[in-house]
Amino acid sequence: MERRSFLKGFGVAAACAVALPHVASAADEKKVVGPNEMNYETAVAAITGGKAVTPSAKVKMEAPEIAENGAVVPVKVTVTSPMTQKEYVKAIHVLASKNGNVRCANIYLTPANGEAFFGTRIKLGGTQDVVAIAEMSDGTFLSTKQNVKVTIGGCG
Amino acid sequence: MKTLIKIKPKTYAAGDIVKVDFMAMHPMETGMRKNKDTGALIPAHYIDEVKFMFNDQLITKMVIWESLSVNPLMSINFKVPSAGTLKVIAKDNKGQSVETTTAINPKG
Repeated sequence: MERRSFLKGFGVAAACAVALPHVASAADEKKVVGPNEMNYETAVAAITGGKAVTPSAKVKMEAPEIAENGAVVPVKVTVTSPMTQKEYVKAIHVLASKNGNVRCANIYLTPANGEAFFGTRIKLGGTQDVVAIAEMSDGTFLSTKQNVKVTIGGCG
Repeated sequence: MKTLIKIKPKTYAAGDIVKVDFMAMHPMETGMRKNKDTGALIPAHYIDEVKFMFNDQLITKMVIWESLSVNPLMSINFKVPSAGTLKVIAKDNKGQSVETTTAINPKG
């Protein structure tokens, strides 16, 4: 029963795409993979517009090292910033590097937030890096990443 | 779409930073899952935009993808400037939209 409810709730089927029967035409193939497929490099380029992303200790991510259930992985991102009109965090982007669609959430913050924080629960198709990219008001991009081992990944 | 806003902690003063939790009851279908009986793909159905407004001023805008878990939780921090109304507008990719409001009453 536990397995059944897990399968029911588990939606990220990035790994599923491999198991699905092969289709003849390219158009059909697109449907099988899903409408929002995007790989990690394309997603990062879309966010930064080609600018460099610097790994920084200012961006902190809280995520489990081992997630038993890939369907619900809690992720919390905090960015150290005074959050004033002059200097604040413009956006936090959360990416799951090996999901079919790596983009999870783009959070556009304002100084009214007081503190740059974002917490959510994401789905992971398998063991992979979860990446957080923070866009600062001065135009720089800072990032951090954490590897999350998913015990029950893919389609079980 | 059932939604819920929680402010933590429950009592706060003006100028304090509080945590705002927004929860929505939503299937968050990825579009990659199959119907077990028919084998047909279940169409993608997920929340794609969430806006947090305080007294009609935008605080945070979120662009969400299907990678968020079923019944997603989104939490942000918010510096309470004064009393007012916090409104959260969530929209999914089928055009369904829901507005949730909660009163902000700083004490002390």
